[in-house]
Amino acid sequence: MNHPVTRDTINLEEASILSHDAFAGDQYYLRLHAPMTAETALAGSFVHLRCENTLPMRRPMSIMRTSEKEGWIDILYKAHGHGTRQLAQRKVGEKLSLMGPIGVPFKQNAYRQRPLLIGGGVGLPPMVFLSEHIRRTAKNVSPFVIMGSEVPFPFKSVPSQIMLAGIPEGTIAAMPLLEDWGISSRLCSLQAYPGCFDGYVTDLARIWLDGMDSQQQQDVEIFSCGPTPMLKAVAALAAEYGLPCQISLEEYMACAVGGCAGCVVRVETNNGPAMKRVCVDGPVFEASTVFPQ
Amino acid sequence: MALDNKKLAVDYCGLKLDSPIVLLSGCVGFGEEYTRIKGFSNRDVGAICLKGTTLEARLGNEPHRLAETYSGMLNSIGLQNPGARVVVDDYLPMLDFDETRFIANVSGSTVDEYEEVTRIFDDSPIDAMEINISCPNVKEGGVTFGNDPEMSARVVAACRRATKKPLITKLSPNQTDIAENARRCIEAGTDGFAVINTLMGMSIDIEARRPVIGNNQGGLSGPAIKPIALLKVHQVYQECKAHDIPIIGQGGICNANDALEFIIAGASAVGVGTALFYEPLICKEINAGIVEYLEKHDLGNISDLVGTLELNN
Ligand SMILES: Cc1cc2nc3c(=O)[nH]c(=O)nc-3n(C[C@H](O)[C@H](O)[C@H](O)COP(=O)(O)O)c2cc1C
Ligand code: FES
Repeated sequence: MNHPVTRDTINLEEASILSHDAFAGDQYYLRLHAPMTAETALAGSFVHLRCENTLPMRRPMSIMRTSEKEGWIDILYKAHGHGTRQLAQRKVGEKLSLMGPIGVPFKQNAYRQRPLLIGGGVGLPPMVFLSEHIRRTAKNVSPFVIMGSEVPFPFKSVPSQIMLAGIPEGTIAAMPLLEDWGISSRLCSLQAYPGCFDGYVTDLARIWLDGMDSQQQQDVEIFSCGPTPMLKAVAALAAEYGLPCQISLEEYMACAVGGCAGCVVRVETNNGPAMKRVCVDGPVFEASTVFPQ
Repeated sequence: MALDNKKLAVDYCGLKLDSPIVLLSGCVGFGEEYTRIKGFSNRDVGAICLKGTTLEARLGNEPHRLAETYSGMLNSIGLQNPGARVVVDDYLPMLDFDETRFIANVSGSTVDEYEEVTRIFDDSPIDAMEINISCPNVKEGGVTFGNDPEMSARVVAACRRATKKPLITKLSPNQTDIAENARRCIEAGTDGFAVINTLMGMSIDIEARRPVIGNNQGGLSGPAIKPIALLKVHQVYQECKAHDIPIIGQGGICNANDALEFIIAGASAVGVGTALFYEPLICKEINAGIVEYLEKHDLGNISDLVGTLELNN
């Protein structure tokens, strides 16, 4: 009997904590030794982590970076609920049970040479992963990454050396990691952080798009992850400009393997509405199916 | 076979199970989902109950559908499923019946619907059917039938007309006299019981002052409900033992010790659901723990332990 190809695709690893650093706004970077997950994770993949041994449910967390060579994965999270606050207490050297990598990743369209990546709040990690992937694999592609946050960014921003047509003067703050990789990025916030664009991520995206001619706009596709209101605005923007757009969603999860249907999102399909599992049918979806215009 | 320990083999309503462990309905999709995990094998369990299935496809309830609670969780899926025809035509052919036994979970809003769904599964390779008259997350049918012994018996009798395959009735803990209900279901022709389904509960977001669950309330599962489940199994067993009607004990089982408690209370098989979410490979450990216990107590087979509880005076 031929078994489905999905068999044996998710690892269960006891991952030791290699580093665990706190940033302003209750944000934490966690580096875990998880060599099997690091080997097969893709941009958009997530892990299902046991934050603390007495909690009955695991927590899904997006992967931000991986090193196949060194066998680690990086996670960025905000301690806002019971589980993540427990996780924040865990020390270097301790082990966490982890399932991963899970989920359908972002799919790049080879003909679109100007990917626009929009990340908000704890939706930054998949955008970083996708940036690194594009840098490694797609030579003629120049992505632009817009990040928004209403709490301090979980890194010290740098003034960008990469000039971009149409971007307002003074909007210079960039993510250092992306800057090092030669990928243009800009930060947005309503909190008047220095160098950041004073407005929503979609406002800056619109300015950037309006600086192009329609031929250039045809090269753009959008990838996004962040809070629901932001994703909704991103989906509307994509529809307005007629651009393809993939978004990565979050939902509470129990099994994270497709078994419980607890994590669903309502989507529009050709056969009418459907409830899709964010864990294995996603977390990446076509924006137009989640937010029909 | 991954499992060749004769001590674990049980006969449940005529089904040969390689282990007393049954994976529970609603926790393991339509039987293949957990095989995504490396090291997980359907051969490690005696049977797998598929997700609750109705006559027509159902979208289920609006999110959020899950909430963590102390030592447990609430769910309100609302019987999302593609309908019995699709399950039989498209899902069952994907299952490897060499690996384990598969049990359908029959659900509905009317007695006729239960009967019709049973009929559809009767004409399929499925090994047995579990009648879900205890789903707390739908407006009609489900627990509204399961909490009324008269209605429970009518549903069981209707399903009985539609099949000769083993019929297992899944009882609700949300009722006054579970033993009375069990007695009526035995008269109506059930071959076995699953005890218990989830308990109804609520969780509130204090900032929003709204229930966390989209459908306001949900079914509580996990270790939090184990003591309740154990007592219900004990009570139902009193009705079952004279008729040789076997029980799948369930509710919060997380380790071999929990499983053994249920078996001693009267369960012939044990269900594992919520514990998988936390520890997907737990069934291997539970099997090993049961074998170790049987060896220590010089018991030849797990069935020698069923209902061996001795009450204090
Ligand atoms: C997410 C979820 C979905 C469930 N769906 C069903 C279902 O469709 N039909 C059913 O009979 N029981 C359903 N149940 C109940 C379980 O099968 C089981 O009886 C209950 O969860 C108690 O066992 P546990 O504590 O080991 O999970 C569901 C439970 C959970 C947690
Ligand atoms: S979390 Fe169980 S199906 Fe997605």
